[in-house]
Amino acid sequence: MSTSSHRRIDAAGLVIALILLVLAGLVWWDMSKLQILSPYDLGPKVMPIIVSAGLAILAIGNAISAFRGELPARDSLDWRPIILILGGLAALILLIAFGGGFIIGTALLFATTSAAFGRRAFLVDLLIGFVVALIVYVLFSKLLALSLPTGPLERLI
Amino acid sequence: MEAFVSLAHGLTVAIQPMNLLFALIGVLLGTAVGVLPGIGPALTVALLLPITFKLDPAGSIIMFAGIYYGGMYGGSTTAILINTPGESASMATALEGNLMAKAGRGGPALATSAIGSFVAGTIATLGLTLLAPYLVELAVRFGPEDYFALMCVAFVTVSATFGDSPVRGLTSLFIGLLLGLVGIDILSGQSRLSFGVPELYDNIEVTTLAVGLFAVGEALYVASRRHIHEEKLEAVRGSLWMTKEDWKRSWKPWLRGTLYGFPIGALPAGGAEIPTFLSYATEKRLTKHPEDFGKGAIEGVAGPEAANNASAAGTLVPLLTLGLPTSATAAMMLAGFQQYGLNPGPLLFAERPDLVWGLIASLFIANGMLLVLNLPLVGLWVRLLSIPQPWLYAGILVFATMGTIAANPSPVELVMLTVFGVLGFLMRRFDFPIAPVVVGLILGPVAESQLRRALSISLGDPMVLLESPISATLLFIALVALVAPFVLKGLGRFKAVED
Amino acid sequence: MTQFRKGLWRTAIAAAAVAGFVGTAAAQMELKIMAPAAPGGGWDQTARSMQQALTQSGIAKSVQVTNVPGAGGSIGIAQLVNNSKGDGSQLMVMGYVMVGALLTNKSPITLDQTTPIARLTAEYEAIVVPANSPIKDAKELAAAIKADPAKVTWAGGSAGGVDHIAAALFAKAAGADPTKINYIPFSGGGEALAAILGGKVTAGISGYGEFESQIKAGKLRLIGLTTPADKATADMPSIKAQGIDLEIANWRAVVAPPGISADQKKALTDAMDKMAKSKEWQEILKAKGWEDAYQSGDAFAKSLAEEQTRTKEVLTSVGLVKS
Repeated sequence: MSTSSHRRIDAAGLVIALILLVLAGLVWWDMSKLQILSPYDLGPKVMPIIVSAGLAILAIGNAISAFRGELPARDSLDWRPIILILGGLAALILLIAFGGGFIIGTALLFATTSAAFGRRAFLVDLLIGFVVALIVYVLFSKLLALSLPTGPLERLI
Repeated sequence: MEAFVSLAHGLTVAIQPMNLLFALIGVLLGTAVGVLPGIGPALTVALLLPITFKLDPAGSIIMFAGIYYGGMYGGSTTAILINTPGESASMATALEGNLMAKAGRGGPALATSAIGSFVAGTIATLGLTLLAPYLVELAVRFGPEDYFALMCVAFVTVSATFGDSPVRGLTSLFIGLLLGLVGIDILSGQSRLSFGVPELYDNIEVTTLAVGLFAVGEALYVASRRHIHEEKLEAVRGSLWMTKEDWKRSWKPWLRGTLYGFPIGALPAGGAEIPTFLSYATEKRLTKHPEDFGKGAIEGVAGPEAANNASAAGTLVPLLTLGLPTSATAAMMLAGFQQYGLNPGPLLFAERPDLVWGLIASLFIANGMLLVLNLPLVGLWVRLLSIPQPWLYAGILVFATMGTIAANPSPVELVMLTVFGVLGFLMRRFDFPIAPVVVGLILGPVAESQLRRALSISLGDPMVLLESPISATLLFIALVALVAPFVLKGLGRFKAVED
Repeated sequence: MTQFRKGLWRTAIAAAAVAGFVGTAAAQMELKIMAPAAPGGGWDQTARSMQQALTQSGIAKSVQVTNVPGAGGSIGIAQLVNNSKGDGSQLMVMGYVMVGALLTNKSPITLDQTTPIARLTAEYEAIVVPANSPIKDAKELAAAIKADPAKVTWAGGSAGGVDHIAAALFAKAAGADPTKINYIPFSGGGEALAAILGGKVTAGISGYGEFESQIKAGKLRLIGLTTPADKATADMPSIKAQGIDLEIANWRAVVAPPGISADQKKALTDAMDKMAKSKEWQEILKAKGWEDAYQSGDAFAKSLAEEQTRTKEVLTSVGLVKS
């Protein structure tokens, strides 16, 4: 441990500690609803108790290091690419959930990720993604007989 | 000696041109699907079963063996190059392998992985030839208490993946243990931490977690820092091939990895994950270049890769001698045997020696083929990293999601992948180590259920852990491994004072 | 929505075909079979085998297999009931395991919401002991359980599954308290088999196929099968014939979505009837070692309902289902 002389409290570290504490509570609450069914089994509760207790102790540990300001320094954050990538993933999930199909979703994910890494040619990338997804789809369905989620486009094949 | 005569006979079966062709198709297919995360050799064999129905038994079983070995190779390639382990067994490889690739040493990493796999696969297949009957006796004697003790050994070594802060390392481990709780508890049939979502009843898929944390998390992290820190990937820096130094640093890890992989793989509940992590931890402790770990140490690739392939051969020990399928792929191969009315087990050796020994012989051949195929490809694979960064990462994400969708076409599985991606991003940002999460997910449930089984059988008497000689020995090893670093540190200090 | 419309369109063709000229027209049938499990498992193999038999014998023009894995089939059945309502070209493979899984998972969807079509295969459960065990037959095992259920440890598949249910039924038939059985669930057949071979447990229970080669090699002793008494042979003793009233089979069947018309139901049932008799299907059964347990129409619907009642009783008695 580095003995840090500057006692700057790290707010993010405190949030992490708090999240761990919440998780510990969640595991405990979930455990309390379980039942012991077999008279010989140690039961499903023991492991959650250990995990919950461990998380609570670690929450304290993380809080202490946050108070000591021991968390590593962090660079500033660029939110735009994160939103782009997560947006692409969300689009894929929604398209699959609502029958939009695999190909369009994958093409979108390809294009948004590429944009997140600084490419400006969104339409070109969309086309590349589309071709990649099409090849994958055909390979999977024809060669392996694995059906990927279908949408309007897939039904044309 | 009898084994060698049989093996020689098996070779005459395996080198028939048709069977050689089947082995080649198998290794090619295996490599191709091993590359895809989520689509492992088990799935491929399952999908090919109906197609091979009409083929001759020897040919199709030889092909399945090729797929099995090929899958192990393919999984490591993506783990090293794009930090996307194709299956859980190549997770440990990703840790140092990807760092090597980023430092322009992807060539040597892939080479040590290919040669290590070959060495380990060959030694382990030899072990299968000579030791199978003895090993299986031991494997069957391994009871739940012994597995629990083995898990204890594995848990002790996890700290090797912790990085510089024990608090943050343990936090990661416990998050993994928490994720391991999710789903139906196999012993009581009750669901834990599932909140009524049926998709969560089946436990969290290791590959979904690993791909989310490693690949998606990394993509998010790198993208978020592009404005201050432009990552420059150089596909090749220095030699594309292994240097003399690399060889020197690789050969011992290969052998040690084999020693872990083969026997543990032969255990009915051993698996490939535990030996790979044990090997990683061992290499980290034994290396003469501790400063390289965390920057791309070749030992950290050589050892786990050897362990991974050796365990694949180990799995065949209980399959062929007892008809015990101990991995998903082995279960599919069993189904493959059964569709020809063949039941693996003690009788198969007597009834169809040509088939069993033909299979074993073709394992040697498949292994050789994989080496010949993979080494020249190293240069080509490494060039993948020269793809412009936006396309490279876009491709990685498409790859990661595609594997998840193909294995389970459910939006919930993709949501999990995304959530794990965000978790991986946050963990990187706040400098929490990632590997312990995966280790916790793998080891936690196994340790819990084996302990509970042991105590159910002993009607609650914990002495069962010490009464079994295997368990007692393993627990002792775990204790030594836990205490030794402190003692050694103490001794070191003592020495320093004396000087 | 489009899927729904397309389904209607397809069924319209199928129905028209059936109404028109039964025999040959059925060859126009396009079927979708859902395996509510990941590729490779028993249900998936059944679905893909059906695909093979239906297309090769010309009963259906095309058969598409989809996988909807998760929670012992709970996710697959939810999708069938919610998204494929009235689709006469859709089938889902299911089995006895799903009956128990839906109950233990407290699934809001029940099998009553589906349209039962036909039962295809069955596998009987086998009870085995290690070869060096003092227990020789079902009577001795029953006596041991009655004396002290805690001391008789069972190795089998997951909690609430068919192995667990069969073990509980055995204890009950033996006159012991089924809630007191010391049943130890293992993941995957291999692990349980290893525990039995290693003598870690008193007895093992699973599908006969899991144990077959070990029994033949003399490493395990077969105590009995859960077959009807009249099916017993010298090599295949029935537990029921030994005086313990236990009969259970792990069957696999196909069901259709809710809301299909009587004609659609008849078309599907006819297709299954034809498939079950086809040379191709019989060959597959032989190759896979599956027992033919074909039953369709109302007979199957009735036995499905009975299985549900019995399973609920057993699972309630071992505490896995709240009554």
